[in-house]
Amino acid sequence: MHPILADRGALVLYLVVFLLIGLILAALLNVSGNVLWGAAILFSAPMALLYGLMCLSSWYVCRSFPLKTTGPTQIIAVFMVASIISSALWILIGEVLASLLSSFPFAASLSNRSSTQTLLLGGAGIGLYLLAVAIHYLVITLEQSQDTERRTLELKILAQSAELRALRAQINPHFLFNSLNSISALTTKDPPAARSMTLLLADFLRQTLKFGTEDLIPLGEEVSLCRRFINIEQVRFGARLQFEEQVPDAAKHYLIPPLLLQPLIENAITHGIAHLVNGGVIVLNADVHADRLRIHVENPCDPERPRQQKGGLGLENVRKRLDAISETEARLDVKEDNSTFVTDLSLPTFKK
Amino acid sequence: MKPISKTISAVVVDDETLAREVLREHIASHPDLSIVAECSNGFDAVKAITELKPDLVFLDIQMPKLNGFEVLELIDHDPTVIFVTAYDQYALKAFEVHAVDYLLKPFSKDRFEEAIAHAKKNLERGSSEAIQKIVATVRANDQPLERMLIREGSKVYVIPVEKIDYVEAQDDYISVRAEGKNHLKQHRLSNLEKSLDPARFVRIHRKYILNVDRLARIELYAKDSRVAILKDGTQLQVSRAGYDKLKKLL
Repeated sequence: MHPILADRGALVLYLVVFLLIGLILAALLNVSGNVLWGAAILFSAPMALLYGLMCLSSWYVCRSFPLKTTGPTQIIAVFMVASIISSALWILIGEVLASLLSSFPFAASLSNRSSTQTLLLGGAGIGLYLLAVAIHYLVITLEQSQDTERRTLELKILAQSAELRALRAQINPHFLFNSLNSISALTTKDPPAARSMTLLLADFLRQTLKFGTEDLIPLGEEVSLCRRFINIEQVRFGARLQFEEQVPDAAKHYLIPPLLLQPLIENAITHGIAHLVNGGVIVLNADVHADRLRIHVENPCDPERPRQQKGGLGLENVRKRLDAISETEARLDVKEDNSTFVTDLSLPTFKK
Repeated sequence: MKPISKTISAVVVDDETLAREVLREHIASHPDLSIVAECSNGFDAVKAITELKPDLVFLDIQMPKLNGFEVLELIDHDPTVIFVTAYDQYALKAFEVHAVDYLLKPFSKDRFEEAIAHAKKNLERGSSEAIQKIVATVRANDQPLERMLIREGSKVYVIPVEKIDYVEAQDDYISVRAEGKNHLKQHRLSNLEKSLDPARFVRIHRKYILNVDRLARIELYAKDSRVAILKDGTQLQVSRAGYDKLKKLL
């Protein structure tokens, strides 16, 4: 939408300016020739308003030839042609209007106009058109800078909400409140342990927030996030929760979407270890084979545990995220037999 | 009354050691409360509550083997219960509706005292019917039923519904036939029927619910009376309405 036409105030101001220009033109007609004041105004005012409206069309030309990408010679050429055409058209309309008006007795003096005056009017037309071009370029530049600012702000908000979403999706309220309860228990019994638990939790939350803004992270970082998560849960579950990690250093450099592995570990705890009176060992290993990164999580589980209880929401999320990057042919396989639960993640390899 | 009779016996049920410790710490400041057992899973809780019949139970909801509601379903004894949970939106709503005591982890000393004061009032009045209502509300949400819980003495059996052959009504009890054994449970057949998956379990007779996977064939027994023959040879009566339901399903 045209910025001046869209804003009623700006349009009025713009037309008032042209009306004033019309008065100047009338004065010129009156002083330099023998056109009477009344007739001069009757002719110049509508002519100026009309030209004001005509000049608004320069916005479309300005838009087609943006300052940034168009060379100066091209701009000059384009607008010289455009201004001459507009001005000529205007003069032509002026001639028609003058001849119409001069048939009335009160404006008969219009026929006294000289050809010099017509030339002068044409020159003014070219000048006014170029002025309008300058104004439009100014408006466009202003709008663009506001737009950039708004877009930067929007992106910032988007990034923040991505962080929060990541946190919300990742942080199971059970995990959070139970951890806080452990801290509450430790404060009287073992203050240093309470402090270290607080720090573990803070580190975990901070890292999760950070991952929310990144597209890909090294597997090693995700593994260390998982290790923190396990350490926190070990405070709650004690000896029931054990962890064995066999991820070769070579595999740790490969990039994966963040927070893909942690839900698998959380699932192994909440649907595996948490249902077992004596707990068990969660095994995590990874390897790179034929250009694919394979991550394997295995945990014991109770085949008689209740199933429906909002189970596997974490796995569901992982699967959804893998679908979102489906062009990379990522896969998640889940197997359960008797009392072992296995999740296998297979990703194409990315390296920095 | 002797002062000794005023002691309130309590059982603490939570699978996390630290969570039990917090409770123990708070309970210690009440000389009239005495912990008679601490349990870290649902089976132990059922056993302890059945054998010790405590006045008060601090009950975690999420636990191995049986959750808190399942524990309550399995005990005959009706203690006053204070639920202790970290987060369980659905249960919290039920607690509010039925004005049941609960503690949200982590909880303050003040909050603990409030719950204890309320529980003591309930103990004096001897009213705990709200608990069974809550159990019914929350358990009804778990449909269709996945596993049946049966207690014999202080032993608990968890029977996945797919292992059930059929269920027979016996006065106030139901007899659940699974893996060659019969288990008795105080329950109504009509209530059980409502919570089982209707695509798998059919009320074939006033007295029977059948797992249709076990059905071998149906034979005409007399006019308007049929008999279902199961894969293991068991014969169960089929009513006219039951036969119609079976026909529709098969």
